[in-house]
Amino acid sequence: MKRNWGVTAAVSVIVFVFLIPLTGAFYTSLRTDAAIASGPFVWEFDSNWTHYKNALGAAGYDFPSFFRNSIIISLGTVLLTILVSFPASYAIVRLGFGGPWLLRLALALRITPAIFFVIPFYKLFTAYGLIDRPLGLILANSFINMTLALLVFAGAIKEMPLEIEEAAAVDGASIWMTLRKIVLPLLGPGLAAVGVLTFLFSWSDYLFAVVLTSSEATPVTVGAANFVTSYGVRWGDISAAVCLSILPPLVFATAAQKYLVKGLSSGAVKG
Amino acid sequence: MSTTYSQERKIAGWLLSAPLLILLAGLLIWPMYLGFKTSITHDILSEFETYPAGFENYKNLLVEPNFWSSIRFTLIFALVASVIELTLGLGLALLFDRIFPGKRFLFSLMLIPIMIAPSLMAVMFRLILNENIGIIPGLLSKVGLSYSIFDQNNIFTSLIILDVIEFTAFTFLLSYSALQNMSSEIYEAAAIDGANKRQTLLRITLPILKPALAIVFLLRILDSIRTFDSIYILTGGGPGTSTQTVGIYIYKTAFIYGDFGLAAAAAIVLVLLLTPFMPFIIKQFNLGTESSR
Repeated sequence: MKRNWGVTAAVSVIVFVFLIPLTGAFYTSLRTDAAIASGPFVWEFDSNWTHYKNALGAAGYDFPSFFRNSIIISLGTVLLTILVSFPASYAIVRLGFGGPWLLRLALALRITPAIFFVIPFYKLFTAYGLIDRPLGLILANSFINMTLALLVFAGAIKEMPLEIEEAAAVDGASIWMTLRKIVLPLLGPGLAAVGVLTFLFSWSDYLFAVVLTSSEATPVTVGAANFVTSYGVRWGDISAAVCLSILPPLVFATAAQKYLVKGLSSGAVKG
Repeated sequence: MSTTYSQERKIAGWLLSAPLLILLAGLLIWPMYLGFKTSITHDILSEFETYPAGFENYKNLLVEPNFWSSIRFTLIFALVASVIELTLGLGLALLFDRIFPGKRFLFSLMLIPIMIAPSLMAVMFRLILNENIGIIPGLLSKVGLSYSIFDQNNIFTSLIILDVIEFTAFTFLLSYSALQNMSSEIYEAAAIDGANKRQTLLRITLPILKPALAIVFLLRILDSIRTFDSIYILTGGGPGTSTQTVGIYIYKTAFIYGDFGLAAAAAIVLVLLLTPFMPFIIKQFNLGTESSR
């Protein structure tokens, strides 16, 4: 069969164009400050990873704490989103809870721009001491990602053969046992899809982070953006910080690419 | 027997949904009340007293040119960006719908923008477009061109390019998935009937893909309407208010100028403007999930 190298070449060029910002940032993060200052095409690389060491604390930035906050917020959001949405989706699909209304509400919320919730959340979280705390962002992100999780879970549960659950009920298994021993194991791919998407979207959140944090709970997205305005000349350090910020979701989502694709296309929903 | 079983199901339904209902009560119903209350309150950060203002904020909003110009900018931006992203994504999906060396690797690379936070993409975009150190102005100056992101004439194009780089991966992925769901028998039948590639694409592939593409387009429009981070980081809504999306307008009104009442009213008007489309959109989504199976 003829090898289609022409298509490979065309696709490679297109893919490269889409990755210019990333490669540009990575390129800058590897160069010496002197090279960066003397223009974009002075080839002088830093063999000591100085910019990465600076970003990770050597230069006294708060970046390590931004990084820690992003990890806490994203993992917390994944956990809370699944805990809230999984049992509810089962109740909606199999027990007919709330009729079609809860899923329609989820879709309506999916359409509502997040900015709508920013001011009320700010008021609410101020009143309850949740401002600048990771828990506040975990709650806000879980609320936003819940609609996606409900839709993906509901879709996955609908696809599961009803016969297994019916057989379990005939054998006298309670709803709890069925849920734990039968539905949960079968839902593995759905859980993975929700997990990776929720991690990605809560890691990417900027709007809630910029409104609901000021210093203690600041994640990398807001931290990196503030970097640009505060240390606008230290492009090497900024690039290293941005490359590091991209790394965890990139590694996680690439490893779980199958589930990312499944989640995005089955729910056809993006936070 | 059957009554106790249905009772058990009912109780189980409530218990299983309890966490969701609590979350909805705390983070949907209560905040919606708070948002409405703020919108009918004179609530300005620099003035310590807040007092009921009736519909004053709404009246002020209706004659606030910045709000309406931000809506207009948001719609134009969403439409232009979505059309380009859908076209490029579909084109790329058709290109990927063949067998060629390195396909899996290039597919993974093409998905990378989805994994990058829009705010971080915007920071990188600022870096590569920086007049002194950026690669793009550097390359352009080698061929004798100059380019400034903040130039009034370039700013819209820059923002569209940023959005296209960030979100084409998404339209590509969904178009590609839709293409994969098409049965190969259709192509075989078309080939037997002597259809050429162009005819197959225009008469068969595209019409079958149409419902799926409509949903992708709708999703992109909805997501572009909420664009905030990337534009805010790149331009802050400027120069002046020329690139202010409605999200940036609401954010700035509340958290920069401190007028919470007006911002809350703007948020509510925005949702009211979207409400008439909601039943239609919800129907589209339901249709989409059924046809994809």
